[in-house]
Amino acid sequence: MEQPDSIIHQPVRLKIMAALKPLPPDDPLEFVRLKAIVGATEGNLGAHITTLEEAGYVCVQKDFVAKRPRTRVAITPQGRRAFDAYVDYLREIIGSTATS
Amino acid sequence: MTLSSQEAAENLSQAEEAGRRSKQVYFYRQSSPHLIIWGIIWVIGYGGTGLYPLYANPLWAGLVLIGCASSVVLGRCTKPDGTTGGPYPWRVAGLMAIIIFFVFATYAILQPHSGRQLAAYPALITGVAYVAVGLWTGPRYVVSGMVVAALTLIGFFYIGPIFLWFAVVGGGSMILTGLWFRTV
Repeated sequence: MEQPDSIIHQPVRLKIMAALKPLPPDDPLEFVRLKAIVGATEGNLGAHITTLEEAGYVCVQKDFVAKRPRTRVAITPQGRRAFDAYVDYLREIIGSTATS
Repeated sequence: MTLSSQEAAENLSQAEEAGRRSKQVYFYRQSSPHLIIWGIIWVIGYGGTGLYPLYANPLWAGLVLIGCASSVVLGRCTKPDGTTGGPYPWRVAGLMAIIIFFVFATYAILQPHSGRQLAAYPALITGVAYVAVGLWTGPRYVVSGMVVAALTLIGFFYIGPIFLWFAVVGGGSMILTGLWFRTV
């Protein structure tokens, strides 16, 4: 059995990817909403998003709405494929144990 | 790095929970403009009916058409593969058609004999529909449906100017619910 993707394997990053996966690509999730879903602190979430962005799994958009800064995050096609592969990997482990 | 079956199941469960919550937040956000538009329609429709009862039928016919068209346009979504459209707008249109058919079919069978009954029934059905939707999509819908249903019953049994009650309290609560959904 191949090794899991070490970037997605980290629990907070897994939750980030899982939260972004169901959303349309042109409708990114706001940082504050992602924070509420994942249940991480602002600094922790920001650091993990940076790691995912460097891996090319998410893209971060920063703009201003009513003069207030807004950060939004979306999953990339590469991230979508990596997440699917990771979920397949988990299911493979569960399945192989169940059948053995 | 190898995972046990239990660890894999836990990871998968956490991922599924995050995905479920994300979908819920997305659904609330998508629902918000629908609720605000229908709240405004209630304010105009019930308010206009209370003030100008003779014009109630054409007023409501026009407002319902505007509301349904708005909901279908707002229902246009982008699917995860980046294409727009899909079955959602037609589901919204289908839901509207079913509710309208259901309300008028009930009128035909039970034949209400007062304006209060005519006014309260669609509002009550709206509340019930929100609760039903909420059982699948999230508790905020359940709460808002129960509030709309409770306000409808209070208005029907205890409030004299029922049309103005529905306009201000019913329409207002829908608009506030729409704004509440944006805060998720």
